[in-house]
Amino acid sequence: MTDLNKLGLETNGLTKAFGGVRAVDGATVSFQEGKINALIGPNGSGKTTFFNCVTGMIRPDSGTVTYQGRDVTGHAPHRIARAGLGRSFQLCRIFPRMTVLDNVLAGVRSAGLVHRLRGAHNPDDIARARELLARVGIEHLERSEARDISYGQQKLLELAGVLMAEPDTIMLDEPAGGVNPALIGRIATLVRELNAEGRTFVIVEHNMELVMSLSDHVVVFDRGRPIASGAPADVQNDPRVLEAYLGV
Amino acid sequence: MLSASRHKTATHQAGRTSQGRSVLLTKLVVAAVLLGLVLAFPALAPDPFILSVGVVIASYAALAVAWNFVGGLTGYISLGHAAYSGLGGYGTALLVTEAGVNPWVSMVVAAVLVGLAAVPIGIASLRVRGASFVIVSIALVLILLLVAQSWAEVTGGSNGLRVPRPFGTDVLRPEQHERFFYLFVALTLVALVLWWVIDRSRLGTGLKAIREDEDKAQALGVPTFAYKLVVFVVSAFMTAMAGGMYALWFGSLDPIFQFSILTGSYLVLMSLLGGVRSLLGPVVGAVIVGYAVEFFKNQYGDSQMHLVALGVLLALVVLFMPDGVIPWVSAQLGRFRPGDTSIREVDAAQLAEERKALEEAKS
Repeated sequence: MTDLNKLGLETNGLTKAFGGVRAVDGATVSFQEGKINALIGPNGSGKTTFFNCVTGMIRPDSGTVTYQGRDVTGHAPHRIARAGLGRSFQLCRIFPRMTVLDNVLAGVRSAGLVHRLRGAHNPDDIARARELLARVGIEHLERSEARDISYGQQKLLELAGVLMAEPDTIMLDEPAGGVNPALIGRIATLVRELNAEGRTFVIVEHNMELVMSLSDHVVVFDRGRPIASGAPADVQNDPRVLEAYLGV
Repeated sequence: MLSASRHKTATHQAGRTSQGRSVLLTKLVVAAVLLGLVLAFPALAPDPFILSVGVVIASYAALAVAWNFVGGLTGYISLGHAAYSGLGGYGTALLVTEAGVNPWVSMVVAAVLVGLAAVPIGIASLRVRGASFVIVSIALVLILLLVAQSWAEVTGGSNGLRVPRPFGTDVLRPEQHERFFYLFVALTLVALVLWWVIDRSRLGTGLKAIREDEDKAQALGVPTFAYKLVVFVVSAFMTAMAGGMYALWFGSLDPIFQFSILTGSYLVLMSLLGGVRSLLGPVVGAVIVGYAVEFFKNQYGDSQMHLVALGVLLALVVLFMPDGVIPWVSAQLGRFRPGDTSIREVDAAQLAEERKALEEAKS
């Protein structure tokens, strides 16, 4: 399933400034296709802005984003999503006044007016949505409104919604943030399983224990650009990383 | 253990579908009874005045359902929908008087033209969200008011524009009211069917996702701008149809009433009151508000007290029934039903499994 020669997600000289602050500053990064990549760095190092530039939520000032060999710089977020790049949000975003099932159904891929006028609750879509809800372990909540379930369950729901859109690459912004240890374990297992099925992951995370145990490749950000990258064990001992994190 | 829990889920789902069927049956019976009452209204109305109030309410219902394509599905609140009903009305009137086109053809042609005009208007105004969108929608109707008032050689300005009766002079007023009542009810039904089709479709799910969190919807691959534009144009078209029909019924147009910010506010009030997320919400709202407007006008005569009374009504709705009457009533009924719980029962085996996963993640 994993093909190392396949072109994955790459950025070249990506830059985005807010006023005088260069949140992302000439970031040239290439993520390993078919692997679990982690993006780490101190608070304010530009990880989320980088995420937003890559997924089209923010238009970068300069630089390029290429995905599977195609230049997707400045494309609208839905086009990037349909190209196969799915994402979750920091602090988890769901559709609060829609049911859990409808939340997942919102991610369904369809094209053309006839397809889009098909009933949302058709057997095919429902079966797939239920399968994904069962996979993340919240199938018993399908009729609850999303605002009524717990934060941890909302995180799982968000992941199910992202999966419904059939992404090849999944970017997760702090999947373990604000989540209890048992659930972190479940999320880690899910990421490993999905990766084994051939999906690439790019994960922003502060939980170092999780990052080190889960990822194959780590990119360290500081002041808007990568300062180190490599296998978790190598990065952990890199003096530049220690300096950025600990200020020594 | 696993097969037992699977069995439980299966029976649970079977129970759910039979329950769903009985709910559907109840809904159909209620809808049939309501429709029967609506259709019997002209025969039951004691005098032509009450009948004319019925026509006004039916026209409000058509307008409110048309408004709800944008307001309910996408959450974009337009206060300026009078722009489209007004343009539909003037378009119809001018096609009849200036070009001598058949009144019903005029109504449809005018609505199609308004729908086409809504494309560039939507492209410009749907770029902004929330309060900014509201302000843009108000600006549009105010501009049209000024244009219609000052361009007197076409619109008749403040002197008004007379529209000939579509049924000829031998059809008397009460008979005309009755025909238009049925026409407005038919238009409302068409709008309801269209809304229902969109609401239950994949398009509808995408639109509701936009209402809840537009950025998130886009990140999931929903082409948000195109989706919004589609319902915006449908809404403008249906609103213009209702506006054109109103022009044919009322027989005279004055810019101050056609391009009124008040009309737009009524539509918002009706939809909020009934419930923007339910199919019949705007209709229920139109009946309550439409009746209240006529009642207060009757009570307070020529004073502006009816507006104060409506303002109070709007405040009460926002305070106590923010989701509207229909969701409020079903929530009250729902209190007597067994509810779903978000607490999942976990047995010892599942707990052990989760612990194992946790250990694996740590190692």
